[in-house]
Amino acid sequence: MKTTTETLHGGRKSMHRLTLSAALLMGAAMAAPVLADDHLKVVDTPLELTVHMHHERYTSYDESWPVELAAREMTGIALKDATIGSNSKESREAFNLLIASGDLPDIVGGLAIKDNVNRYGPEGAFIALDDLIEEHAPNIKAFFDANPDLRKAISGADGKLYYIPYLPDGFYGRGYFIRQDWLDKLGLEQPQNVQEVHDVLVAFRDRDPNGNGKKDEIPYFARQWEELIRLVTLWDGRSSGSDTYHDFFVQDGKITHPYIGEGYREGMKNLAQWYKEGLIDPEVFTRGASSRDFLLGENLGGMTHDWFASTAAYNDKVSQTVEGFNFIAFIPPASVSGVRMEEHRRILIKPDGWAISFSNEHPVETIKYFDFWFTPEGRNLSNFGVEGVHWTMVDGKPRFTDEVLKIDTSVVNQMYAIGAQIVRGYHQDYAYEEQWTNQIALDGIKLYESGDYLIPDFLGVSFNPEEQAVYDKYWPSIRTYMLERQQAWILGTGDIEADWADYLATLDTMGLNDVLTVMQTAYDRQYN
Amino acid sequence: MSGVRLENIVKAYGALRVVHGIDLTVNPQEFLVLVGPSGCGKSTTLRMIAGLEEITEGRLTIDGREMNRTAPKDRDVAMVFQNYALYPHLSVAENIAFGLRIRRTPKDEIAAQVKEVGGILGLTDYLLRRPADLSGGQRQRVAMGRAIVRRPKVFLFDEPLSNLDAKLRTQMRAEIKRLHKRLGATSIYVTHDQVEAMTLADRIVVMNEGRIEQIGTPMDVFQNPVNTFVAGFIGSPPMNQIDAVIATGDGGPVAQFDGQSLSLPPLDALRQGAGRRVVIGIRPEYARPVHGPAEGAVRITPELVETLGSEALIHAAIGATPFVIKTETHMGLTHLENVDGFTIAPDMIKLFDKETGHVLRNEEGR
Amino acid sequence: MAGAARTVVAGTAEKPPGRISRIAAHMRREWQIYVMLLPTVIWLLLFLYKPMYGLQIAFKDYSLFRGIEGSPWIGLEHFETLFQNDQFIRALKNTIIISFFTLVFGFPVPIILALMFNEIVNQRFKKTAQTIVYLPHFISTVIIAGIVITAFSPSSGIVNTILGFFGLEPIYFLTRPEWFRPIFIGAGIWQEAGFQSIVYLAAIAGISPTLYESAVVDGASRWQMMWKITLPSIIPTILIMLIIRIGNLLEVGFEMIILLYQPATYQTADVVNTFIYRQGILNGQYDLAAAAGLFNAVVAFVLVMSANAISRRYSRTSLW
Repeated sequence: MKTTTETLHGGRKSMHRLTLSAALLMGAAMAAPVLADDHLKVVDTPLELTVHMHHERYTSYDESWPVELAAREMTGIALKDATIGSNSKESREAFNLLIASGDLPDIVGGLAIKDNVNRYGPEGAFIALDDLIEEHAPNIKAFFDANPDLRKAISGADGKLYYIPYLPDGFYGRGYFIRQDWLDKLGLEQPQNVQEVHDVLVAFRDRDPNGNGKKDEIPYFARQWEELIRLVTLWDGRSSGSDTYHDFFVQDGKITHPYIGEGYREGMKNLAQWYKEGLIDPEVFTRGASSRDFLLGENLGGMTHDWFASTAAYNDKVSQTVEGFNFIAFIPPASVSGVRMEEHRRILIKPDGWAISFSNEHPVETIKYFDFWFTPEGRNLSNFGVEGVHWTMVDGKPRFTDEVLKIDTSVVNQMYAIGAQIVRGYHQDYAYEEQWTNQIALDGIKLYESGDYLIPDFLGVSFNPEEQAVYDKYWPSIRTYMLERQQAWILGTGDIEADWADYLATLDTMGLNDVLTVMQTAYDRQYN
Repeated sequence: MSGVRLENIVKAYGALRVVHGIDLTVNPQEFLVLVGPSGCGKSTTLRMIAGLEEITEGRLTIDGREMNRTAPKDRDVAMVFQNYALYPHLSVAENIAFGLRIRRTPKDEIAAQVKEVGGILGLTDYLLRRPADLSGGQRQRVAMGRAIVRRPKVFLFDEPLSNLDAKLRTQMRAEIKRLHKRLGATSIYVTHDQVEAMTLADRIVVMNEGRIEQIGTPMDVFQNPVNTFVAGFIGSPPMNQIDAVIATGDGGPVAQFDGQSLSLPPLDALRQGAGRRVVIGIRPEYARPVHGPAEGAVRITPELVETLGSEALIHAAIGATPFVIKTETHMGLTHLENVDGFTIAPDMIKLFDKETGHVLRNEEGR
Repeated sequence: MAGAARTVVAGTAEKPPGRISRIAAHMRREWQIYVMLLPTVIWLLLFLYKPMYGLQIAFKDYSLFRGIEGSPWIGLEHFETLFQNDQFIRALKNTIIISFFTLVFGFPVPIILALMFNEIVNQRFKKTAQTIVYLPHFISTVIIAGIVITAFSPSSGIVNTILGFFGLEPIYFLTRPEWFRPIFIGAGIWQEAGFQSIVYLAAIAGISPTLYESAVVDGASRWQMMWKITLPSIIPTILIMLIIRIGNLLEVGFEMIILLYQPATYQTADVVNTFIYRQGILNGQYDLAAAAGLFNAVVAFVLVMSANAISRRYSRTSLW
C-alpha cells in the first residue's frame, strides 16, 4: 500500500518537473527537423499508458526521462509510471508484489520477466503477442522473421510470445586477460595452450614479476569464483551453457549439464591441483567483487577472465601507480584436445523486456508503440538518447556528442539517467558501446573476432506447469549439491577422482534425470 | 561491653553539609534512639556508624577503637533496614544464615544458631518459606534475626517499623524492647516516630537539620524540652505553644496574650523581664478544662472534640493560636462541648525565649 | 455452570437495554482508553492475524496471479517434498545445532557483560565500555559480514596474522565447514551480546540497594554480592529471556548466513531459512516456503510452550 502511495507522489512530483524539461526539450526539438514529421505517430490523440518498469539501477519509470519525452512527441503515447516495489532493488520481488496485487498496469516491464510472463501469461495475466505482432508490428515481425530461433527461445510453453525482449548487441563479453608487462619482464610468450598457461602461472608465482621481492603474486584471480570453474574449458569441459552461471547446455540436440561431463571432471581435477599449487587466488571464494580492483591496483594479479571493456579500463586507472602496467586480452588457449573456445558471450536475447497485461484496453496501440522502438528512429532513441542533444548523425551513423563522451560519469550511467539503454523491449546497437570503449578492449575484441572462438548459447526453455513442478522440486537441491562438491574439490576437502562415481549416483537419486527429461521435452517442443 | 562514640562527626556531600558535627556517646548495652523529622540527618548518622557512608570529618570509635576507615564488615555491627532488605530468592533460614555463611561459619553451627534465633523470634515454623510468603511483621522479624544471629557488638536499626501497620508496629515495638532486654546489646535506633522513641529508648537524641537538639531520657525530653523544637516534636499531641509578652502582675510575672493574663512560675530570667517576648509551652495533658468562670482560667474557644476512648482531645483556639487539651473522658464527657477555659499549675508552664527558642529556667535547676 | 449460563442469558434477554446502555455509558466514559488501544489492535489484525490467512498456501498449489482463493488445494504435498529432501533435513539439523550452540554460548554472554558493567565503578569508563559493546548492534549485517570476511581472510586477516605469529599455517576459515559454526556464532555474539545486556542491566538497576548495604554490613565481598544477590535477583529476567530465546530457536539470522556461506560450507551452514531462500523465494515457490515457515512456527510454538511450562513449574517465572 505504502509503495503505491509513494509512487503516486513521485509521479505527481515528476509531472511538475516534466513541464519544465518538456519546455527545454521543445527548444532542442525545434532545431531537429526530424521530429516535425508524423510518420511515427501511433495515435492521433495523445494516449496515456501505465507502466511497471523495475531494474536494480532504476526502480521506477521516470516520466521526465528525455528519451520518454521524445518518444511521447514522436508516438503520441505517454507512459505513466505505476511501478510497484520501487523502494527495493529486487526486481523479482517487485514483480511478485505486482502480480500479487492483482492490479496490473497496461505495460509490465523490467529485469528478468521472462519466466514470470511465461508462467502467468497462460494463466491470463498477460496477452499473447503473436497475432498483434503479425498485424500491427512490422518491425518486430521483421526481426523475429529473421531470427526464428530467438522467438522460439522466449516463447511460453504454449508456444506463444508474451513479451518483447531486450536484445543485446555485440558478441563478446569476457576474454582472457594477462599482464603482458609481466610476460615481457620474465621473457615469456602469451600462453597458447593449457600447459603454457600452467607454466606462465608458475612463473608468475615464483619469479617475482612485480619485483617487490615478496612472493605475493596471485597468478590467476577472478571477481566471480565461477570464472575459476570457467577454466575447465581448457580440458574440454563446460562450466555453463549461457551467460548465467551453472546453466544447462545443448550437446548434439540433447540437453545436458556441464557438471556431469568428463571434461568437467578432468578440468576440476587439474584446477584442484592448480589451486593446491598456489596458482589460483587462495581467497577466490570470498574476495568478491572488489578483487579485480584490489589485485590489479596492488600489482598482485596476473591473469583473469573478465569483461573486455571494464577490464581493459584498468590500463588507464592503474598505469599511473604501477609502472608499465599492461593488462591485455589474449586469445583463448587451446584445450588439451587443441580446441580454442571462449565459452562466455553476450547472450542474444535477454529475459528482460516488456509485456502487455490483460487489463490493457489499448493492446493495438501498445504493440504499435512497442514496434516504434524497433524502427530506426526508435532504436537510435533507445540506444543513444535524443538526437541533437546526446548524439548527432555522422556519416549516417549516430555519434555521441563530445559532452556525453567527455563527462566523467560513464556513458552507461548517463544513458540510464536519460532513459536510454533501459530494459524496455528494444534492440541494442553495439555502436553505442564501441564509441567509448578503451582501445585495448577493442583490440582484444578484434583479436577474438579474428578467430572462431564463440559457441552457441543455450537460450532456455519454457515449461508447462507439470514440467515446472518437476524442475522446481529437484533442481535447486541438485544445483546446491553440485556447487558444494565443486568447491570441495577445488579446496581439496574432496577428491574428484575418488568421488566421481558416487557423485553421479547421488545426482541420479536426487532426480537429475527427471530434470533433464522435462528439459528435453520442453526443448524439443520449443525448438523443433 | 561495647560503647560507641561520635566526636564532632560531619557529613558533607561536596559543599552541602547534612550533619554538622555531632558529639554523642552511646553507652554499652544502652538503647539509644535517634529521632527527628525526615532530613534531619539521623539516618545519615546511623549509616556513618555502619560504614555505609564515609565520615567526612570527626572520629568514630566503637569499643574504643577508631572505626572511621574500617570496612563495615570489620566494625562488628549489624543493621536492620526499613524495607527489611531480605533476599527474595532465599528462604527464611538462608536469609538468617546469610551473614554467617559469608563468614564461613561451619554448617552445623549455622544450623544451630538459625534454629535458636528462629526460636527467639517465633519463626520456627517459617524457616523454609520465602520472604514473599511472609507478612510484614514476619519479614521484619527475619530481618532482625539476620542481625541477631551474628551477635554483633552494636545493633543498628534504620526505621525498622515504618513499613508496618499501626497495630503491628505496637506489637513489634514491644518485641524489640523484650529482645533488647534479653540480649542486652548496644543498640542505636533511628525513627521519625516520637512514640517509638519514647517507648523504646533508654535515652533519646532529638535531631534537627543535622544537629543534636537534646539528649536525654524519654521523661527528661518530655518534661524538660530545651527548646521549642523539641517541645513541638516530642509528645502526642505536642506541647501547645503560645506567643506572649511578659508583664509583672500582682503575684509575680504574668504572660499576656490575646488580652488575657496567665501567672507564670517565678523564674530568674523573668525578674527584669517585663515586655520580653516569650513562647509559653503547655502540655495538652497538664491543662485542666473548666466550664464557666474559674480563678486564673484562660479563656479558649473550643472547636471540636476528638474522643479517643478513655481520653479525648479538645481542639480549641486562643485568638488565632490553636490550643489542644488532652483530658480523661471519665472526668465529664458531657461537658466537653461546653468547655470555655482551662487552668494550669504555674509549675507546669514552660517558657521559651521567642527569639532563640531556648527554654527559660532557673539556673539552679528544674 | 449450565444453570448459571442460562440465568445470564435469560437476564440479558429480559432487559437488553440495560446491558447495552451500560456498555454505551462505559464507552462514553472510557473512550479515550479504547482509542489508545486501537492502533495496537489494528496493527495486530493487519500484520499478524491477516497474514495467518495466507498460511493456507502451504497446502495449496499457489499462483500469485490466481491468488489464495483461486489456487487449488494439494494437501500435504509441500511438506512431503520438504521431508523427502535430504538437504532440508540437513538444513533442519544445522538450524538446530547452530541455534543450540548460539543459545549455550550466546545466552550467558550478555548476562556476564551486564554483571561486569555493574561492577565498574568509574562511570566514564563504564559508559565508554558499554557504548563500545553496543556499537556492533547498530552496524548493518552486510558490514558485519564484511568485517568477518576480512578478519578471517587467509592473506590479510587479523586472525591468520595472529596465527602466523605462533608459526601456524593460515587457514581459509570461510571455506572450512568445521569453522563455519564457530565463526557465525561468535560473530552473532559479538554483534548482539552488548545490546542484549541492556535488559539485564535494567533488571540489575531494579534491585533494591539496601540488599547490597545489608550484605556489606554482613561482610559480603563484591564477588559474593554478585553471586548471592545480583545474579539471583535477575534470575526471573534471565528465565523470561530464555523462554523467548527458545521460542526463537529456529530463527537463525539467515541474512548473515547468506553473506558468509559458500557452497563449500553448506554442509554445516545451510539452515532452513537459507534453504527456503534458495529453494523457494528465488524460484518464486512461495507455497513451499510457507510450508517450511509453518513447520518452523509449529516447532517454535511447541518449544516455547514447553519452556514456559517447565519454567513455571520449577521457578514460578513464566511468560503467561
